[in-house]
Amino acid sequence: MLAVYAAAVYAFLHVPMLVLAVFSFNASRYSVWTGFSLEWYRATFRDGELGQAAWNSLVIALASMLFSTALGTGCAYGLWKRGSRWISGSMYLSLITPEIVTGISLLAFYQWLFRYANFHLGMHTVILAHIAFSIAYVVVVVLARLRTFDPALEEAALDLGATELEAFWRVTLPAILPGVAAAALLAFTVSIDDYVITSLVAGVDSETLPMVIYAMARRGVSPVVNAISTLIVVGLGGLILASERLREA
Amino acid sequence: MRRRLFLMGVAGAAGCSRARERRLYVYNWSFYIAKETVPRFERETGVEVRYRTFESAEEMLAKVSAGNSGWDIVIPSNAFVAPMREQGLLAPLDHARLPNLGNLEDRFRDPAWDPGLGYSIPYMYGATGILYNRSVRPEPRGWADFWQDRYGRRVTMMDDPSEVFAAALKRAGHSVNSDAAGEIDEAKRDLIAAKPLLRAFISADVRDQVVAGDVLMAQIWAQMGRLAVNERRDLGFAYPAEGFALYCDNVVILRESREPELAHRFLDYLLRPDVSAEIAQAVTTATPNAAARRLLPVEAREDPILYPPPDVAARGEWYRSLPAAGQRLRDRAWTEIKSS
Amino acid sequence: MNRLRTWFLAPAATVTVVLFLIPLTVILGYSAMTRGAYFGLGPPWTLANYARVFDPLYGAVLWRSFVLSAVSTALCLTLGLPLALFISRSGKRRNLYLNLVMLPFWTSFLVRIYAWIFLLRDTGLVNAFLQKLGVIHDPLPMLYNDGAVILGLVYGYLPFMVLPLYATLERLDPFLIEAAADLGARPATAFWKVTLPLCAPGIRAGAVLVFIPCLGAFLVPDLLGGGKSIMIGNVVQNQFTTARDWPFGAALSLVLMALVMLALLAALGRRSEDLL
Repeated sequence: MLAVYAAAVYAFLHVPMLVLAVFSFNASRYSVWTGFSLEWYRATFRDGELGQAAWNSLVIALASMLFSTALGTGCAYGLWKRGSRWISGSMYLSLITPEIVTGISLLAFYQWLFRYANFHLGMHTVILAHIAFSIAYVVVVVLARLRTFDPALEEAALDLGATELEAFWRVTLPAILPGVAAAALLAFTVSIDDYVITSLVAGVDSETLPMVIYAMARRGVSPVVNAISTLIVVGLGGLILASERLREA
Repeated sequence: MRRRLFLMGVAGAAGCSRARERRLYVYNWSFYIAKETVPRFERETGVEVRYRTFESAEEMLAKVSAGNSGWDIVIPSNAFVAPMREQGLLAPLDHARLPNLGNLEDRFRDPAWDPGLGYSIPYMYGATGILYNRSVRPEPRGWADFWQDRYGRRVTMMDDPSEVFAAALKRAGHSVNSDAAGEIDEAKRDLIAAKPLLRAFISADVRDQVVAGDVLMAQIWAQMGRLAVNERRDLGFAYPAEGFALYCDNVVILRESREPELAHRFLDYLLRPDVSAEIAQAVTTATPNAAARRLLPVEAREDPILYPPPDVAARGEWYRSLPAAGQRLRDRAWTEIKSS
Repeated sequence: MNRLRTWFLAPAATVTVVLFLIPLTVILGYSAMTRGAYFGLGPPWTLANYARVFDPLYGAVLWRSFVLSAVSTALCLTLGLPLALFISRSGKRRNLYLNLVMLPFWTSFLVRIYAWIFLLRDTGLVNAFLQKLGVIHDPLPMLYNDGAVILGLVYGYLPFMVLPLYATLERLDPFLIEAAADLGARPATAFWKVTLPLCAPGIRAGAVLVFIPCLGAFLVPDLLGGGKSIMIGNVVQNQFTTARDWPFGAALSLVLMALVMLALLAALGRRSEDLL
């Protein structure tokens, strides 16, 4: 019963991807089926800018995921120990700030900084922005997980002579690790998909995939967009399956 | 590209005494250049051009208005040239360094938005009209057709307040740039009345749905109209009888540019007939460069969609940037239309 | 104890202060400035922007956004909770199933919305399929209405519900359910009485992570709603783009943020001590 329901939700999530995959092989530039063609894949692989943008997106998302997960998990643990109205309030505030406001305020802040230092917008400004807005997501997810963790376990470790750091590292962290992994997944996802904030703080060398795709889609149709999306889904999907096989083997 | 940058970095680190590597930073609308334009300039001059694109005028303005964006050249549309100049963002042009300026059509040598081209040179231009399916009888002739209930709600207008107000204002016999409260209010009421007849507000990407046959009539740029008609011969493009809006994108040099001399060379390069013709062909749009237009194949040169005949073109009106009060009136009216 | 806590909190707090709170004061400043003649902004200082926010027009848009977001959040929970439950009970395959949820979200948001347009429009696949089956003659109007907006929001933010739910459910002891069953509880009762209360923190976190971005959404109402009925996110977005009225956009956002914050405090009630 549950499995059937879950399968339906998976279908809901993946059917649009299937549609994109089908149209990525369409000979026509428009979304009317006229025949099979590999033209858009050829165009994708020929486009060096696309490859660069995909690489930038990946670097930014991985860096942002790493830092925001580490910082956010620490923050969640601290808040779990004892709440802090100021910090959790700021985390909420960061979640409820409209993206365009976050982007504009960061841009203004960077522009002000650049007056005193000869920097320009680039990968570093994008990564910092992504870390800043991803932390709150991590904190929310990890904290939800910690709330179901029994503090008595940690206390037992302390009673047995572990230092606080050891108790965290050896007892709490392993127990909440699936939650941390879920949070990391979320941080990666919000980073790799961000357009509004990224486009405002990106510089000449930090064009990301969503920026390229946004341009292509809004200017009318470009099936190259479908080809890239299909490649991402198939590529990363393959990676997931392969790693699963390796783990099972 | 990467490797070259790396090598340059190594050369720099090795204590190469040469001053800052000469580079030009160019910021343009997306999909608004030919593939060869930048590489050829790089080959001809030996200078590296870092070329990037933006999606909206506001994105560009937000970045360059602080005056330390790092860009040398940007390409705003005509409505923004005067405001940017007034804010002190633009560098004056030295016409002695632009020998190809004479290639421009006469009417683009002294445009209303930048008399005498002191700060900008026209790059490409276009208009907004009506793309429609020829099965529609009678064929649409003007904006008034958007108020006719005979298309089964398979009609769209652009998701852009300037364009939508331009259509409603022209239909009522006013200027596309009107900021008179009475006229904007009238346009607002008219648009609220037309809204039930519209399927949606969709911008350039409606092209796909017109080709697919979902939408029978759409307000759209002539450039997108041309591309759609190329795909399906039973589509037509009309320049509305009541008049229509025109835009022109212009190349400017920012005052913060540290390479004004190089920037002038790039501007003059863009004015070259072969270069401008190549861009006009690649992006399917109209060039203000008379010498470039002469180089185009005849069907492109005499394309009635991109280059309407003089009597039709005379109905066009250039966009201007609205002052604060008018802009604010329009935005509130737009919110009202959208939430009605 | 406290020293360690400080070390854990400090890095995230520093980043948040430097890269979020300090820049946010810029917006506070903007909200009290006057917009420039064509774009930009500057002195004189004024509170007029705040006065304009309290226009019934924006109140109506806000209410609409609130309703659409609430419905979308409820639907996300309805779809997400069983899915999270299924994943958390899949043993070794948990990671695989979790990744499969996220997979579509590594492509661009915009592309996913366009995929729905391909599916839902008059000549789209769903209508074509139904027409071929002879179920319908004329295409069903599935696109450009509130239903399409809700669908887009649910599709766009479902993982934000699934991940925190999974994070709490994963920890849930299956023996508890078994114990409940042994004590004679039917599965439905066990779910309501045992599972649901235990994953309450996850539901709370998921609801927050879905509801808030829904409220700020602007692409979904534009593209799937056809821009025919806007949400408050569109109004905010427009001020910073087409309207070029940054001071008003800033004031509107800050008032909106204050309202959402108050609503959250009210919803969390006595838990406001540990807000999250």
